[in-house]
Amino acid sequence: MKYIPFFGCMMTTKYPWFEASVRKTVARVGMELVDVDGFTCCPDPIYFQARNKMDWYTVAARNLTLAEDLGHDIITTCSGCTATLSEVNLALKEDNDLKDQVNSRLKKIGREFKGSINVWHAVKVLRDDFGMDRIEATVKRPLEGLKVAVHYGCHLLKPSRVMRVDDPDHPTILENMLRAIGATPIHHEKTLLCCGRACMSEDIPNQMVADILDNIKSHQADCMGLICPTCFDEFDVGQIILGRKLKRSFDVPVIYYFQLLGLAQGMDMKEVGLHMHKVKVDHLLDMVAV
Amino acid sequence: MHTQEKHKIDFSFREKLNGIAEGYRHNFCYQCGACVADCPAGMYSDHFNPRLILLKALLGFEDELIRPDSEIWDCTNCYTCAERCPQDVRPVDVIIALKNLCVRTGNAPELILKTSDPVLTSGITTKITSVVDRRRQEMGLAPVGTYPVDELKKITEGD
Ligand code: SF4
Ligand code: SF4
Repeated sequence: MKYIPFFGCMMTTKYPWFEASVRKTVARVGMELVDVDGFTCCPDPIYFQARNKMDWYTVAARNLTLAEDLGHDIITTCSGCTATLSEVNLALKEDNDLKDQVNSRLKKIGREFKGSINVWHAVKVLRDDFGMDRIEATVKRPLEGLKVAVHYGCHLLKPSRVMRVDDPDHPTILENMLRAIGATPIHHEKTLLCCGRACMSEDIPNQMVADILDNIKSHQADCMGLICPTCFDEFDVGQIILGRKLKRSFDVPVIYYFQLLGLAQGMDMKEVGLHMHKVKVDHLLDMVAV
Repeated sequence: MHTQEKHKIDFSFREKLNGIAEGYRHNFCYQCGACVADCPAGMYSDHFNPRLILLKALLGFEDELIRPDSEIWDCTNCYTCAERCPQDVRPVDVIIALKNLCVRTGNAPELILKTSDPVLTSGITTKITSVVDRRRQEMGLAPVGTYPVDELKKITEGD
């Protein structure tokens, strides 16, 4: 089956090894990616949406029309891109007035939003269109014994009316996807807490990040597993900056799900970019015998 | 709303908010407080409360809400409140409408325009430095393409 990947700004420019991990791993599961030229920022659901919501709808709709031209669904690999593209896609499908307003703007560049495709986070497509068996079948080296603290982030699940992935209060998708590659998912008290990235005050996200990391440590997890480059940024380099501020260290390695999938499929540390992380992960690799 | 100052109730603010995308949803709020308990910004601060933000909007306390240091800027955009609200207010969407109103009236924190400007001037939020394509190449990826900035200019208002 063919899908159009939307990697977004953060992954394209700052964390290209995540993009590489997605491309290599989903290919093995049997997902065919068709690249599209001309995508811009999704645009981001925090600052750009706060600036001007009509502009936000319109820029997102322009991206959606590029995928509509090819007739395949979009897969997203960042929770922020998921938030924007899924929400705008549904809003325009549901609200004809809004669609007309956006289309009168898109007309200036010869485009029209039709509402003919869907947008899903890549993990949802893996679960629903391929299934755990297909993921398991690609595993050459199960990550046995690796305890991964699950961090959902907000927009894989919420708003649930839009995302339609899982119960937002009792999700299981990431736990099951970790089990499929042999790892042990660790659900902790703050598994569903957001990373706080969007807050203007520093104090709120600092407390959230510290609380999440402390909970992970108290459950003796080996690392944190997540599905969003922005959450990654907040917890990887973010935990070092926060540690300096609080004069303490957390030492919780943070790993993107598709990197774990790559390891399980037999790729080495460099192939999935694990050597680029700020919080070192080397000791974990001994565990999974790389 | 633990201030001692007296505020004038101003229902005309509702009209202003109704004029912004999704802003009309504030009218559905019946102040039940279901949005409060699981709000992370509320849990981790002593000043943030989505129900009170809705109340201030309903009563028209514009001077408290429409300013660069208003509590609305501490919302994490997590959408938990939208899950909880029985009235489909989607408090976060009302907060976003309030933010749009701040930007429109020159009352937004500088960071908002500074972070979103690059989308309109370069097509993306992050910076493309010389390191980017080198790293992409190391990972076996194609270089970053060009972004159709001229198209974005034509379809947006910009502020
Ligand atoms: S849950 Fe909805 S109706 Fe209840 S106070 Fe919050 S916004 Fe208002
Ligand atoms: S989105 Fe809603 S629940 Fe989340 S921080 Fe903002 S007001 Fe609170």
